[in-house]
Amino acid sequence: MAKKPAVQTALHKVIMVGSGGVGKSALTLQFMYDEFVENYEPTKADSYRKKVLLDGEDVQIDILDTAGQEDYAAIRDNYFRSGEGFLCIFSITEDESFQATQEFREQILRVKNDENIPFLLVGNKSDLQDKRKVTFQEASDRANKWGVPYVETSAKTREHVDKVFYDLMREIRARKMEENKTNNGRGKDKNKKKKLKCVIL
Amino acid sequence: MDHSKEPTLTLLASTEFQPEKYVKHLSQNYVGGSELQAIRKKIQALSEDTNNNLKKNVYQNYGQFIDTAKEISHLESEMYQLSHLLSEQKSLLNSLASTSLMGDNSNLTRNKERSEEKIIEEQKQKTQSILEKVEGCKDVLDIPGRTFLHEGDLLELDSLENKPIKPVHVYLFNDGFMITSRNSNSRGLMKYKFEVMYELGSLAVVNVRDLGDVKHAFKLLIFPETRIFQCSSNSNKKDWLDKFDQAKKNQLSQDVQRRESIIERSPSRTTIESGIHSTLSESEDDLVIITHPEWFLDLPEELDVGVAQRHFEEAITLLQKGKDYMSQLGLPNAKTDHVLIDIQRKLDMRQSSLTEVLMKELEINPDKSLQGGLRAARRAVRLLNQLGRSTQSCDLFLKLCSSMLKIQCKRVKREGSTSTYIRHLSSVVFTNMCHMTDEFLRAFPESSVCASAYIVWASSELSSFSAHFIKQVFVPQTSLATITECVFLVKTQCERLCNYGIDLCYQLDGALLTPLTKALTDTRDKLIDSVKVRALEDKWIPTNFHTKNGLSRCLNEHREMGLQLDSYVTGDIWLQLTQNTIAFTKVFLALLECCLRLKTTELLYTVDTVLYEIYGAQLKHYELTLKKDLQKEERQFIIKNTEFLLVTLYNLIQRKYTKSNGFECKTFAKVQIDYAALMKICLGNRNIKTKYSSEFL
Ligand SMILES: Nc1nc2c(ncn2[C@@H]2O[C@H](COP(=O)(O)OP(=O)(O)OP(=O)(O)O)[C@@H](O)[C@H]2O)c(=O)[nH]1
Ligand SMILES: [Mg+2]
Repeated sequence: MAKKPAVQTALHKVIMVGSGGVGKSALTLQFMYDEFVENYEPTKADSYRKKVLLDGEDVQIDILDTAGQEDYAAIRDNYFRSGEGFLCIFSITEDESFQATQEFREQILRVKNDENIPFLLVGNKSDLQDKRKVTFQEASDRANKWGVPYVETSAKTREHVDKVFYDLMREIRARKMEENKTNNGRGKDKNKKKKLKCVIL
Repeated sequence: MDHSKEPTLTLLASTEFQPEKYVKHLSQNYVGGSELQAIRKKIQALSEDTNNNLKKNVYQNYGQFIDTAKEISHLESEMYQLSHLLSEQKSLLNSLASTSLMGDNSNLTRNKERSEEKIIEEQKQKTQSILEKVEGCKDVLDIPGRTFLHEGDLLELDSLENKPIKPVHVYLFNDGFMITSRNSNSRGLMKYKFEVMYELGSLAVVNVRDLGDVKHAFKLLIFPETRIFQCSSNSNKKDWLDKFDQAKKNQLSQDVQRRESIIERSPSRTTIESGIHSTLSESEDDLVIITHPEWFLDLPEELDVGVAQRHFEEAITLLQKGKDYMSQLGLPNAKTDHVLIDIQRKLDMRQSSLTEVLMKELEINPDKSLQGGLRAARRAVRLLNQLGRSTQSCDLFLKLCSSMLKIQCKRVKREGSTSTYIRHLSSVVFTNMCHMTDEFLRAFPESSVCASAYIVWASSELSSFSAHFIKQVFVPQTSLATITECVFLVKTQCERLCNYGIDLCYQLDGALLTPLTKALTDTRDKLIDSVKVRALEDKWIPTNFHTKNGLSRCLNEHREMGLQLDSYVTGDIWLQLTQNTIAFTKVFLALLECCLRLKTTELLYTVDTVLYEIYGAQLKHYELTLKKDLQKEERQFIIKNTEFLLVTLYNLIQRKYTKSNGFECKTFAKVQIDYAALMKICLGNRNIKTKYSSEFL
């Protein structure tokens, strides 16, 4: 909520979603601290903040790493509301997690009420090619259908980790600039819905 | 003086008694060997007495010892039962604990179950103290069912720059999070000023892993706001996150959002707008809410308590009350009201766990005492019926009956004669079955489904009993008489069930048909064999009873069987019938007796042929003998015996048979046809005989 955009560096709020164990935390930690965590510890809800240089501009990224575990599903709405962009992660080694992305997508669209919300479909664990269960084609077909980019990452080898975060931030930034233009600088979330309708129209 | 020194038990047994002194005294006072010897004898008698007494005492004590040992083993078994009950109790508690854990995953709720009242009291006090400390929170706290969970001082940070904004004092409730700030114009005790109360359901808690230099912080996402709070330490933060997590989970499962208005128990619902923080909650369902009476919201927990304390009746009443309430509300609400849906789900869960507990009550446990028997099961059965689980309870009830029956049967020792055992066993089985029928009719009146289940049960019990019976009774060494006796006993017992409208006699007959048929034919073979043996040994002489008494005893015996043998008497001790004839008569009448007692329509054919064949075998012997060359006198004698068999005994048999069946035995009648030639001889002889006998007279 860039109340004082002139002074304040921009803050982009990214939410990591996806089934349990797909590597949301691993990707976040790799991005944040350049480290890979081998052992799996289910997340409840962690937030991270980092200053980054986005195309020469100082910005802050706020990452909300959510719980993939089913028992938290019911309280996801409240988290999703606060997001400006989403990394929807699945593991290419687990078809179920890929199927689950459909639900996540739907929930996000419902909560945000915005077809064009910045969103990336991410197939993680690309280092485990021999255990691949979800083909690149399948996943990019789904992404095409949704009109979102598809990227494969590995939290282990750091492949495309930065890319997904930066690509998402660029989309968020683009959206915000668009909003500011059409909305005469009133970029408040509260007015988003109304204004979005204009955009769609 | 001497007298006092006579050897007596008291004297010898006294503690002051000194043998040497006593002997000295005796030898001083008694003169002569004879006197001394008399004394000695006395002492010896005393010693024998003592010996005997000692033995008696030992026996007596031994008896007591055995009794005590028995008593101890009784006690032991009771201890086992007790320990079993205790372990059951324990597992019950465990299962309850796990039920509530699954149910709402919260210690709070469990504690609530344990000492609800105490907690309610504490809650009241807590609320009171918050009211005293926080200005302007009266409306917020005055919400039924809102319970306090956690409080503390936090430092609120700016969500963008992470700079401290202000210290806050915050309260976590089961359904909300209240932020208060320092009261600057503090009057008296009002330390804090109410700022805001967030619905727990509308906020998301985020652990802040990284926020520049800021440590120990967490975020609340309350759309569209984000508020960040810093804790004093990491453990403090962990505490808060855990508390939030717990409350969230608790609420998720319960969804008991005891909100802003109170509703009467009536179905006319009051809808009151949330008066608190509509500013922040944007989700539609937060604005207008139907609230439910508190008793309804508390129902799941009340039920847990009820079940834990084994107040099953109350639990069921509560359950019913809850269901009534829900059905009054009607369907439209049931679909949209999360609270309602949630409670409904919980009630379903409680109901099934209640059912489970009750079913456990009825379950059979090998070492569970069946002392209370079915009476003890009444309660559980009644309650299960109330829960609409009569099919299951009926099933369990009958299983219980089966196992009780089994145990009772096992207690019947196989001792004494077969018929004693069968008498005892069948009495136990059918008395129990009658009793069970009684209980059953009491427990499941007017339920045709259950009634048929009962019939099936009874019939299967009878089958297993008859299988056991057959195994025990129908063994080669059992005589037909014993078999008859046993079958008769069981049939009589089985008829007792008819009083309850359950006639299993036909089934019993059916089960016994094959073994009885076999027993009869076996007996036939045996008897025919002995007929042959006796025929070989037959000397064809009148029977000598040696004494008058012996003869009259025999006559009396036969009179009792319905045979007048006086006309066969010759002299003081002779009977004009062979030993063979007499023996056969006895055997055959005994067989007839058995057959008539055993007969059923299905068995009649076998009975008839068996009678016919054995009789024929005996007659064959007479016929063969008469074909030989014989002296007239001898011939006469044999004819007399034949006639006895073919006419006198035959008539008696047919009389008896008719008396029992209402008609003559056609198959048996064939003997007279088969041996028509013999008949002729006999009849011819009869005329002569009558002449003779009239001469005798
Ligand atoms: N080989 C490989 N393993 C990975 C990769 N990403 C994550 N993992 C492993 O997968 C497991 C789960 O990773 P997490 O990042 O904790 O999963 P998550 O999505 O955060 O799971 P939740 O917090 O339960 O939602 C961990 O053992 C990671 O080490 C990857 O790219 N390659
Ligand atoms: Mg995680």
